[in-house]
Amino acid sequence: MNFDGIHDRLRVIQAPGLLGADLPRAAIPGAKHGESKDAGRGGDAFVLVDPQKIVPFLHVCRDEDRLRFDVLVDLSATDPKAEDPNLWININLLSVERRQRLAIKALLPKTDLKMPSSTAIYRAAQWHERECAEMFGITFVGHPDPRHVLLPDDWVGYPLRKDYVFPKEYHGISCE
Amino acid sequence: MAAEPQGSMTLEEQARVLPSGEREFFLDVHTTDLEVNFGPQHPATHGVMRILMRADGEVITGAQPHLGYLHRCAEKIGENVEWLQYLPYTDRYDYLAAMNNNLGYSMAVEALMPGLELPRRAHMIRTICAELNRIGSHLIAFGTYGLDIGAFTPFFYAFREREWMMALFEKICGARLTYSYIRIGGVFNDAPPGWLEEVGRFCDVFEEKWKEYVDLLVMNQIFVKRTADVGVIPKEMALDFGLTGPMLRGSGVDFDLRRDMPYSLYGEMLKDNAFDVIVGKGEKGTLGDCWDRTYCRVYEMMESIKIVRWCLERIEPGPVLGDIPKVLRIPPGEAYVGIENPRGELGHYVASDGGKVATRVRVRGPSFTNVSVLEDLLPGALIADAIAIIGSTDVVIGETDR
Repeated sequence: MNFDGIHDRLRVIQAPGLLGADLPRAAIPGAKHGESKDAGRGGDAFVLVDPQKIVPFLHVCRDEDRLRFDVLVDLSATDPKAEDPNLWININLLSVERRQRLAIKALLPKTDLKMPSSTAIYRAAQWHERECAEMFGITFVGHPDPRHVLLPDDWVGYPLRKDYVFPKEYHGISCE
Repeated sequence: MAAEPQGSMTLEEQARVLPSGEREFFLDVHTTDLEVNFGPQHPATHGVMRILMRADGEVITGAQPHLGYLHRCAEKIGENVEWLQYLPYTDRYDYLAAMNNNLGYSMAVEALMPGLELPRRAHMIRTICAELNRIGSHLIAFGTYGLDIGAFTPFFYAFREREWMMALFEKICGARLTYSYIRIGGVFNDAPPGWLEEVGRFCDVFEEKWKEYVDLLVMNQIFVKRTADVGVIPKEMALDFGLTGPMLRGSGVDFDLRRDMPYSLYGEMLKDNAFDVIVGKGEKGTLGDCWDRTYCRVYEMMESIKIVRWCLERIEPGPVLGDIPKVLRIPPGEAYVGIENPRGELGHYVASDGGKVATRVRVRGPSFTNVSVLEDLLPGALIADAIAIIGSTDVVIGETDR
């Protein structure tokens, strides 16, 4: 089963929050890199999902007989640019039974970094969300254990954001 | 501590006779919650990890792993250095399997480079190195696991063969631990003369020595009694926690990325039935216990030897590096590539906007998810079993913290 098959199934099931799909595509012919707004896109195909409906969407992915994505492999975020209004949430699912992957992407506006926690669907999401929260400042509503996981509890700022300012010192230790 | 019997009645008199004829004694035993701080500097954590355990008597009631002591901002560095410059940082997350880390990162970047053809010899050398490194990593895993629970000798046996493996890597790339040898587009340099023959000799010797590990540790009655039925992870729990690698196969899930989502040359090997996937069967106790995980690791080493032999039979002279420019500019796009590391699925999510520097390098380390299971696995176990359980996850802290 390829990506198109999964996307079709998601559409047939009317998976909640499904916005569309993005496939790898060539750049507009003749346009040099940087000249065209759409420089093409390589790599994986992914489905776009509304971040506020991520919980029912993952629920369908896990429990629907035609999908059966039983493992959440990865959950992280990406800050594409300091000026970009959105953060990307990247989720990767794996079906051990069907030997199939699914890449999910959700755009979360930087002005309101709140989305529901997927921990109730996949326990694996718990630690990934903790890391995501401390690195990007995203609040996962309903997270059972919202502590820091890698950073110290008193760390200021969100290091993986592109507008992050490196600290000059930490508890009297110079960082320069 | 037993309390005084109430009033003048003795314990014998207070006892209630059950329908079966047995007597039930009322012992008023008081225990208090005890907080045990395990680590961060404990030999069994194989690095610096702290676990805050709460114990009621001998039974653990709560466990909270605290990570971050070895956090080195690998992902942030990935956004600040050029694509090729990031390669040495990949060595340092799972420092026991640096070849596999190099391979995972290189494959993720190559996924964004359409039209890039890798020479066949590069694939061959990559696979040989990755599998040799898997053997070395599993040697440490089972050697130190024995050490953790009191078997000292297997550790030296394991290091004896690992030393040769590291000498082989030293010959091919000059480094013993952090190789940076497998790189975007192929491998750094061709194998020196006689290297492949020496790998062949290593395989022959290793096969003999491997039998010693099985006799000495895996099938040893003391070891079996110590690990069977301890730290059982049922299949559903393993999937829910996103466990991968030997942790998942130890729980009876027949899944290996090399076979089920073949990359590099593994698809070709499958046609020849060159290797099998080792899955735990609950032979010595319950399916998914510490013994099953160790069994998977130790037997997997022999499968790696088969893969190396398959490559040695078919390798031919040729170039080892594809057509890669000095300064890489990766076309825009994003890709997630997961490969089978010794500890599970090592995933790299890379995003590029067409420049010399990555937009995002996300590392999904298998140890990170594998260690998260301790939160649910330790409660209910005995304090004495904690080390056996933590050791069986085969955690490398460099990877959990990155």
